[in-house]
Amino acid sequence: MSEVTIALAGNPNTGKTTMFNNLTGARQHVGNWPGVTVEKKWGGLKHQGYDINVVDLPGVYSLTAYSPDEVIARRFVVEERPDMVVDIVDAANLERNLYLAVQFLELGAKLIIALNMTDVAASRNHRIDAEKLSQRLGVPVVRTVANRNQGTKELLDCIVNLGQSVNDADFRIDYGKEIEREIKNLQEIIQKSLLSLNYSPRWLAIKLLEEDDEVTRIVQGKG
Amino acid sequence: MSPEDILHSKDEALARLRASFGEDLDTVFAGRRYGFISDALREVLVKPKKEKVTWTERIDRVVLNRFLGIPIFLALMWIIFQFVTPAMGGASMFTIAGYFMDWIDEGFGWLGGQVGVGGWGGALLTDGIIGGVGSVIIFIPSIFILFFFISLLEDSGYMARVAFVMDRALRRVGLHGRSAVPMLLGFGCNIPAIMATRTIESKRDRMTTILVNPFMSCGARLPIYLMLVPTFFAAYQGTVIFGLYVIGVLVAVGAAWLLRSTLFRGPPAPFVMELPPYRLPRFTEALVHMWERGKWFLVRAGTLIFAVVILIWALDYTGALESIGRAIDVLFSPCGFGQWQPAVGLITAVLAKEAVVGTFGAIFAGAEEVGGLGFIINFELGWDSLTAFSFMLFTLLMVPCVASLGVIQRETNSWRWMLFALGFTLGVAWIGSTLVFQIGSLFI
Repeated sequence: MSEVTIALAGNPNTGKTTMFNNLTGARQHVGNWPGVTVEKKWGGLKHQGYDINVVDLPGVYSLTAYSPDEVIARRFVVEERPDMVVDIVDAANLERNLYLAVQFLELGAKLIIALNMTDVAASRNHRIDAEKLSQRLGVPVVRTVANRNQGTKELLDCIVNLGQSVNDADFRIDYGKEIEREIKNLQEIIQKSLLSLNYSPRWLAIKLLEEDDEVTRIVQGKG
Repeated sequence: MSPEDILHSKDEALARLRASFGEDLDTVFAGRRYGFISDALREVLVKPKKEKVTWTERIDRVVLNRFLGIPIFLALMWIIFQFVTPAMGGASMFTIAGYFMDWIDEGFGWLGGQVGVGGWGGALLTDGIIGGVGSVIIFIPSIFILFFFISLLEDSGYMARVAFVMDRALRRVGLHGRSAVPMLLGFGCNIPAIMATRTIESKRDRMTTILVNPFMSCGARLPIYLMLVPTFFAAYQGTVIFGLYVIGVLVAVGAAWLLRSTLFRGPPAPFVMELPPYRLPRFTEALVHMWERGKWFLVRAGTLIFAVVILIWALDYTGALESIGRAIDVLFSPCGFGQWQPAVGLITAVLAKEAVVGTFGAIFAGAEEVGGLGFIINFELGWDSLTAFSFMLFTLLMVPCVASLGVIQRETNSWRWMLFALGFTLGVAWIGSTLVFQIGSLFI
């Protein structure tokens, strides 16, 4: 019997809560994230002989350090190391929603994209090639309609499949020559000075250049 | 290599990047990410050339318009205040509040007639409780009507738009839309409004939003306005009250600018907000929301206001009230109301704003038979419209009540900031009222 822990992520109003209920049914627990008054929900289910634990992350648009919700989401992914992140994406607002997905990939997370509300997207005549999206981002993409409980089984199959594979993805965004030079430079200095860190050096370098308060504190703390 | 080396190299790198990309590096990084996404979506997503325009988008084009947004909000609020005030002289479409007031008035009048005891017990019942508590309760329907309309605006999705529109204005003073929500909540009660600032992550933004919130005119101020406008601004009741609300917002925004450029300097945090689609608000739902917000004023009338009024009546009965008032009334002479009755009223206002009305009600017992409290204040204290306006302005700007001071203390976790809020609002109130009265006196 194997166990898989997934973090359920997504923008607010993408049907994330509905998806959480579809996945976990009545087996839900509610508590608080440590140290903050943000609600934490988790639950579990069995699928294909796997025990799947689902942790519901706060709904966020981004992974900056500006709001406690965003810090909770990225801290959980890095420090608790769930086996994968399932990002619920509003298919009708694909561009904006992928901003979060891209940031999970930069963070080095193993990701599944649940292309949700595909019915709404279809009613607006948005045609989405899920397979091509999967190729371009290098992650599995599953079509779902959470409020009609469609695609839930496919998503669970995908979770089990990915759970067995190794994370060999090396996702990176090209920030352009000038910025890349500074990232590389900082990355090397970080690698030389910090022996063990949960966060990838490239990600730390990018976040330092974005003047992320929390990452600055993390780096200081390693003195 | 130490952490300091890393941070040092980071600062050097930032300096180099700023030289080529400008100050706003955040947007450069975000831009590259969006660039990557739109690149990846080129063969993935096909959208119709012309998107179907939804009703929400159509309404938003008007409501969120750069120039129309704020005027539309102001117009809506103006209309709402016409409903809140009892119309003078005959029927009007805005007389809802008037009906309720008449019923309550008759009810208390009948109650007063039933009191058969004489002596001090009878005086306590008729003058203190019926005169004092009754004068507050009579204005509670107006509070409910205001809250009903605010609930309609919220349930329809419009209030989120107001926050969005205010975001643009607040940005100029260094705040953003996340501060707009607590400010709008302040129209109901400053206490939940101040607690709502917990969603603001930046300490500077949060402190500023907390400290300016008392300037937002809460529901408890409404009875004071309603006590005075029928007599002193008969033809423009709703407009004058609307004006006071607008002044409250303007003072809050001005104070935010002042705090943000002195005590809490720094750039505002970025802010994303999603606008929900519009929906038709449900009547019963709005009634429930109205009740949840408004019931505290009923509870308070029976508890805190009740106790304050009895105390005031007892002090008045023994003559002590006048001496207390006279000890401080000179402070308010520059504001135009250096008399012991309003001075005592302002002391009770610190306990609860609507207690001002209860205090006047207990002091001028039986006012309802001779044309209402406003009329008696005009007759006995010799106030004119300018004095009345100056007094309303003072009660608007002075610190809301002890309960909200307690919340400020708890949320800032500091007695010093609480005392600052007390001193700051009292100072602004005194200066504001003095300016209005002194400058106004030159013209009248």
